[in-house]
Amino acid sequence: MKKILIIEDDLSVRSELKELLSNAGYDALILDDYTNMLEDILSIHPDLILLDINIPYMNGELLLKALRKVSNIPVIMVTSRVGEIDEVLSMSYGADDYITKPYNPTILLLRIGAVLKRGEKNITDTILYHDILIEVKRGIVKKEHEEVILTKNEMIIFIYLYERMGSIVARDELMTELWNNDEYINDNALTVNISRLRNKFRELGVDNAIETRKGQGYILL
Amino acid sequence: MKLGDYLKDKVFIIVLIILAYFIIFSFMIGFKITKEFKWCFTVIYFLLFIILFLYDYLRKYFFYKEILSKIDLLEEKYLICELISKPNFLDGEILYQILYETNKSMNENIRDYRSKIDDFKEYVELWLHEVKIPLSALILYTHNKKTSQVLVSEINKIDNYLEQILYYIRSENTEADYIIKEVDLNKVIRDVMLKNKDVLLEKNIAITSDVCNLKVLTDYKWLEFMINQIISNSMKYMKDIDDKKIEIKAYKQDKYIVLEIWDNGIGIPSSDIGRVLNKTFTGQNGRKVPGSTGMGLYIVNNLCKKLGHKIEIESIEGEYTKVKFVFDNNLFYSEVYSKA
Repeated sequence: MKKILIIEDDLSVRSELKELLSNAGYDALILDDYTNMLEDILSIHPDLILLDINIPYMNGELLLKALRKVSNIPVIMVTSRVGEIDEVLSMSYGADDYITKPYNPTILLLRIGAVLKRGEKNITDTILYHDILIEVKRGIVKKEHEEVILTKNEMIIFIYLYERMGSIVARDELMTELWNNDEYINDNALTVNISRLRNKFRELGVDNAIETRKGQGYILL
Repeated sequence: MKLGDYLKDKVFIIVLIILAYFIIFSFMIGFKITKEFKWCFTVIYFLLFIILFLYDYLRKYFFYKEILSKIDLLEEKYLICELISKPNFLDGEILYQILYETNKSMNENIRDYRSKIDDFKEYVELWLHEVKIPLSALILYTHNKKTSQVLVSEINKIDNYLEQILYYIRSENTEADYIIKEVDLNKVIRDVMLKNKDVLLEKNIAITSDVCNLKVLTDYKWLEFMINQIISNSMKYMKDIDDKKIEIKAYKQDKYIVLEIWDNGIGIPSSDIGRVLNKTFTGQNGRKVPGSTGMGLYIVNNLCKKLGHKIEIESIEGEYTKVKFVFDNNLFYSEVYSKA
């Protein structure tokens, strides 16, 4: 489980943030002692830090600057200050991303996922699922001599589900992922895409690839 | 100052001088003074006064001419005192002193107001950032507890209004608060769409976007705000039909890059279209849909002016509205940029 450290002085925001991250399957920790932040961060050694700019004792940007001298733990700056100048400054200090409050929770999770993924290199061209070979770049699904073509939307949905295989993915998450890839589809289109994807896998002999969990979302088995 | 006006102003003194002349002249007749002396006296007497008046007139003429021509050219008229040379006659000196004092007190007043406005703006910005913190907590809460969609969309509205005042203040600011960079239109549109995703899906509005991977030179955050305002308007003034659409496209045209946002909403009446960019103008559509402030497009237009872009609005009532942003396609910059 990925460890995410929350540095944020507003009590309600940080407890809700912790709940959001825990629900999304992260190990969320809160740093509430602001006197020795740098040492604390290094001893906790999180996989990612959500850092507010306005924190007591020390400015978030300064903390980031000090942290970057000793470590390259991914940092997402979170702030209520809206401005290109603040953002450029934070990025130049070595932030991996910059999000302004109030943020949409699904977008926040998406950005966290993207930053964490940047650290690993699992951008593979081919995926092996059951006994089916998926060629991501060519958009093709193969089993022995049978070939089925996936559309761009179907591929986005499959990869997103594949990366979270065995856990439930909410429709809203899938929708956000699609919109984040400039595919602005509606609810009906998502349902259609999923059933087509399901049929394509059935053709290749995997009967219940995507299961629907009522009121919760989908799960790739 | 014309000579005629000057003499008219001095008419009382002139009458007195002529009167005095006749009195002296009648005395001279009484004392039996010679004819030659009388003539000599008359010439010297009048010559003296003519020279006196001419001298006085010319001094004033040049001073007032300078002052009047300079005040015509000056935009901040209260600064006239800084531009004229000190006069060398009494009324002029008094006037100069008065102008100097007025100018000083005016400047002090302006400085006071300016610093009050700046303080106020600073406070509002600070307040806005403060208020966004509980708003974030609320958004996270509604998401975690899966509360009703009504709450989410109301919170979104609050956020939208907060953004409006933030950018209103920024657009009125004299100092530059932006950074011009190369901005990927796809990315801005994606961010705006994700922000409005829930409402767009709920209202079932179909989105198509084809901006041909074009990039423009602008401030990212400002452009994001501007597009968001246009999309918000499209959502607000949508017709109640099955086939709701927003279409976004971008293309090159001569030296410009045009970003076009089209919707098949209720449109704008032709009598209103010329005024939609005016401050607090709500028009006929403002009466149809609640929550019109008439500020959104005004702020967008102001930001456009500051960044050097143009906004054009085209509409047929009941059919469509098309908003175009026109950006300079700065070839020089992109050439330097690609070589670097």
